[in-house]
Parts: sequence; structure tokens; C-alpha cells
Amino acid sequence: MDEFGELALREREARRIARRQWFWLHLAVFATLQVFLFVVWALGSESYPWFIFPLFGWGIPIAAHAVYAFVVQDAEEIMVQRAMRQGGEQE
Amino acid sequence: MTWLLGPYTEARTYRVAAYLLLGLGLGIFEFTILVTGFSLGLGLLVTIVGVPVLVATFLVARALATIERRLARSWLDAPLPRRRLARPEPGGVFWARLRSLTTAPRTWAEVAFLMLRLPMAVLDFAFITALIGAILGGFAQPIVVAAGVDTQIGSWTIDTFAESLIFIPISIIFLLVGARLVLGWGGLSRRLAAHFLGRVDVAELKQEVLDILARSEGADAFRVLDELGLRLGHGSFLTPTRVEATLLALQSSGHVTVRRDGSRPIFTPA
Repeated sequence: MDEFGELALREREARRIARRQWFWLHLAVFATLQVFLFVVWALGSESYPWFIFPLFGWGIPIAAHAVYAFVVQDAEEIMVQRAMRQGGEQE
Repeated sequence: MTWLLGPYTEARTYRVAAYLLLGLGLGIFEFTILVTGFSLGLGLLVTIVGVPVLVATFLVARALATIERRLARSWLDAPLPRRRLARPEPGGVFWARLRSLTTAPRTWAEVAFLMLRLPMAVLDFAFITALIGAILGGFAQPIVVAAGVDTQIGSWTIDTFAESLIFIPISIIFLLVGARLVLGWGGLSRRLAAHFLGRVDVAELKQEVLDILARSEGADAFRVLDELGLRLGHGSFLTPTRVEATLLALQSSGHVTVRRDGSRPIFTPA
């Protein structure tokens, strides 16, 4: 890999780390709030589990964020990785 | 304390606040124009009239996106491409131009932004007015009580001067964090604008890279990145990975050839 390829690799790595850090922060806020809502429900007199609505309502975006942070790759990233693999096979 | 109060002395804070406050009017206008244009155009598509209506709507969307881009760049300091990109020439035929307009990912990103602008602007407006209310409300409460107007919060009536002072500490807290909250919220709008309006399509980037290589009669990837930075500015639309991918794509399509100069590959137009 040439010098520019290494720069691009470092940039991709930094972006990946940033994406994952944002996800963990999002998850921490989500978890804190859901625990708070659960405690409010548990301490209250109401038996209807209303806390499940924010749990699922926000849980779906959390799941989508997890997919974005850990699974999704940009088209350019896939293309570069494919070219790198092909280059490696040729060598 | 400087971190909290410093932004009050910066013009940027008031620009962001103005963007959040005034966006609602623009958002309503854009949403109305686009929804009307697209529904009318699609509805009339069975007749020939629908086509010009849709074309006009796309052109209006492009013009509105240009206004939004200027606003986001000057008021939010959003990292957007500096100048209008040289789009690959689709040819003079009307249908080819139309196809180019409607199939460009940038067009759809712009339309998506304009459609999202209204719900975002409603949230922006609610946030900024609530914040201004929270800051001013506490300080205004003693004046309100002195004027003989009672404030009712649930079953509690605030009708004495002592009671009216309770809200001042809350207002002070909001005053302390207010400017930072505005900048933080503006940062979200900035990211959104940069994501949707700061797109440089692959075809456009290829065209720019080919232009740079033709002018310099060959360059390495670092130089291409520098030249693109000078032309377009810096932002998520211009990353080393994007440049690398573009050069690879041009290489595999035969538009560019590569020769080695030491350890660095030099790209020249084929």
C-alpha cells in the first residue's frame, strides 16, 4: 500500500471509531432514560406498562444506529477494499 | 465560565439563533411548493402537462437548495462545496438533460433536505422560542407580578413578589447554558445540511479529477486531494478514501493511466 493509501486507511479507521463512539453515547443516553422511566413506572401506582412505548419507540432507531455504526459501509470504502484485496491477490 | 458565556460575544451564536428562528417560514414555503408541485405533476402525468410541471418543480427544488446551501454556509458555517461543480455535460437533447437532472443522487438529496426542512424547522423554532422563554420568563416574572397579573402553574398562583423570585435562578441557569445550547442545536442543523446539501456525486468528482489531471498533465493522489481542496473546500464530501476510490474508478474505466515515480503512483489522463 502506498503513502496515500495509508492516509485513506487511517481516515476510514478514524471515521469508523467516531461512528462507534457516537453509537455508544446514544446507547448510554437511551439506557439511562429507559432505566429512569422504568423506575418511575415501578414506583408509581399504575400497573399498565407504559414504559414499553418509549422503549420500543426509541429502540428501533437505536437498532438502526447500531446497523449504521457496525455494519454499513460507504460505497467508496467497499470499492477501495475490493481493489486492495484484488491487489493483494495479484501480488 | 468563559466557555459558557464566551459564545454570547460571538456573532456566530446570533447567526445560528436567527437560522433556527427564521427557518420555519422558509420551511413552510419550501414544503408547500414541493408537495404541490410533485403531487400536481404526478397527478397530471397521464396527460403531457404533468411532465413540464415536474420539470419545473425539480428546477425550483434546485434553486431552493441553492438558497439553503448559501444560508447554511454563511449562517451555520456548514462545510459545503465552495462552488458550483462542473457537471458532466449530458448533451443538448431535452430528455437527456431531464434524465440527468432526475437521476442525479444530488437532486434527490436536495429534495429530501427540502422535505425534511419543515419538521426540522418546527423543532428548531420550538427549541429556540422555549429557550428564549426560559431565559426571559424568570426575569420577567417580578415585573408581571408588579403589574398585578397573576401567573397560574397548576394549582399554584404566583401573586407575591417573593414567589416571583423563585424563577430567577432557573432563568440564570438557562442564561448560562443558553448560548452553548444554541450552538449545539445549530451543530445538528449544520450536520444535516452538510449531509444532504454537501454531496458531491461520483460523476462530478470524476469530472473534477479528470480536469485536474488534464491541467497538470499527471499528478499523484496527494496533489489531486490538495487541488480538489482548493477548488471545493474541505468537508465530508472530500476525503482521502473518496479520492482514492475515484482514481481507482477512473483507472478501471480506462480514463486514467498510472506510472510509478518512486513509491508514489502518478496518474495521467489516458
